[in-house]
Amino acid sequence: MTTTAATETPPTATTAAVVRGGGWSRLLRRPVLSMGLALVVVLVLAGVLAPLLAPASPARQGPLALAHPSAAHPLGTDEYGRDLFSRVLYGLRQDVFATLIAVPVGALAGILIGLASGLARWLDTVIQRLFDVMLSFTALIAGVTVAMIIGSGATAVMVTIALVNVPLFGRLIRSSVVGERQRDYVVAATAIGSGRVRILVRHILPNGLDPLIVQFALSMSTAVFIEGGMSYVGLGIRPPAPSLGSLLQGSMNFLAQNPWYAIGPMAAVTLLVLGFQLVADGLTASLLRR
Amino acid sequence: MLRYALRRVPSALAVLAIASVVVFGVLHLATGDPAVLAAGPDASARTVSAVRHQLGLDAPLPQQYLTWLGGVLTGDLGDSYVRGVPVATLIGNGLGNPLELTLGAVVLAVLLGGLAGLVLGVARGRLLRGATAAATALAFAIPPYVSGVLLVMVFAITHRILPAGGHVSVLADPEIGVQYLIMPALALALPAAAVLARFLSTSIRRVFGEDYIRIGTAKGLRRRRIVLCHALPNALPPVLTVLGIQIGQMLGGAIVVEAIFAWPGVGQLIIDSLKSSDYFVVQNLLLITVTVFVVLQTVTDLLHAAVDPRLRME
Repeated sequence: MTTTAATETPPTATTAAVVRGGGWSRLLRRPVLSMGLALVVVLVLAGVLAPLLAPASPARQGPLALAHPSAAHPLGTDEYGRDLFSRVLYGLRQDVFATLIAVPVGALAGILIGLASGLARWLDTVIQRLFDVMLSFTALIAGVTVAMIIGSGATAVMVTIALVNVPLFGRLIRSSVVGERQRDYVVAATAIGSGRVRILVRHILPNGLDPLIVQFALSMSTAVFIEGGMSYVGLGIRPPAPSLGSLLQGSMNFLAQNPWYAIGPMAAVTLLVLGFQLVADGLTASLLRR
Repeated sequence: MLRYALRRVPSALAVLAIASVVVFGVLHLATGDPAVLAAGPDASARTVSAVRHQLGLDAPLPQQYLTWLGGVLTGDLGDSYVRGVPVATLIGNGLGNPLELTLGAVVLAVLLGGLAGLVLGVARGRLLRGATAAATALAFAIPPYVSGVLLVMVFAITHRILPAGGHVSVLADPEIGVQYLIMPALALALPAAAVLARFLSTSIRRVFGEDYIRIGTAKGLRRRRIVLCHALPNALPPVLTVLGIQIGQMLGGAIVVEAIFAWPGVGQLIIDSLKSSDYFVVQNLLLITVTVFVVLQTVTDLLHAAVDPRLRME
């Protein structure tokens, strides 16, 4: 085997080949994964297309307050007579946008910082401690800290989600950096004179991609947790703007009059989280356990 | 073991030191001048500067930081300028309640998670395992604020069996106290139980691949004896670490659960103080929760290393 071949077909490429080499159809044959993907796609589309799908504006008040489901209002109405189906769709939209923006930003930052730890020993130590500190602020404690600095709102939710994800992705890619450094293909790449940055980005990153993909799906589900938690206690998206967390919070006072107020947002949150987790489980089974 | 501890503890202390600087920095980055808030809405510029001096906010930042840290280390957390009482009193009064909630949740998480993990790891019945796996996946997918609302709907509104919210100390009145405790503790425990179940079953299955289990089977040991005496003791230590992290997560999760069940705890205090811009209180509470998290992690790491000598190497 020549040196170039060794750098181009690293030993763990077989794992990734499942995805790349036309393996998507094989991946989708896993019932867990396809079920999860179906759930996620339907809910994300429902959120993105909310302005088209919603029968009414989420802010329009009506004469019927706390009505039970009917043909006009599939999920009933809230205390101001607003259509709950529309509010759940817009709440979903809020959650989907917040998570789809914040998780990739946090993941990217984490991956870059994690890769940087492969540049120098002292940098690795600094970055390790940085991640330790970030991890000691658990999700909602981080949320309180962020809300204290920039004030509560949708931005605080997104910043929190991004920050919480930085050490998670950073740790994963760092363990790939440490694990792959001794491998032959990295040694070979060093031998033919590749720079450190090139080795990290071109060789180590692609080989450490599988756990990152699984983490991404898991992070999407925890992001929904974080949005709901922060909005529920009033640090996140605040009424009258609908989000899945703020809708649930609003329903609390009217559970006796109209339980349907809570059922819509509860189902949306649970199905969305379940979808992301099924995807993560399916990906774990096909990418990591071999 | 001592050498491992000597390496592990300083790094935990370093993390705490940096975290304290971050928390202190947060107060100064925060929008709003504490002195203006403390002086009241109609205070003149002179009163504000007097208050600023009185609170020590005109001192150089490093000095303020050291004063605060010195106070924290000696148990003097300063005064809440919104409520006009010492922060230590505020926290001390409410410390029993979150402890009660966390302990209740830990007990439920260990019981439910342990049972489910055991079923997933060793049970042979397909139906039982399938049902447990589905229940675990669902418990993992339902955030505490959904399970909390659901529990209230079913047990407090549809069937009036349990109170929808509030708190009676379990120590003062066990029978009534447990009724107030069970729903919030369950909402907090479910995700942790699911995580524990997953890790326990994976850990058990990994142990089952080891030679000493095969030898046990080969020499004719009963399956129950293999599971209880050989597989479990070796499968538990990694799960212990996960339990430590989960308890740490509960500190944050409790903020939401306390809000749902009107449970008077540290989480409520943080949110109330944040909303009334009572920054000193938030600052101290943040440091306390972060410290508890780091201490929990360090203790579980040390325990793990104590029972598994391989970890002390590296």
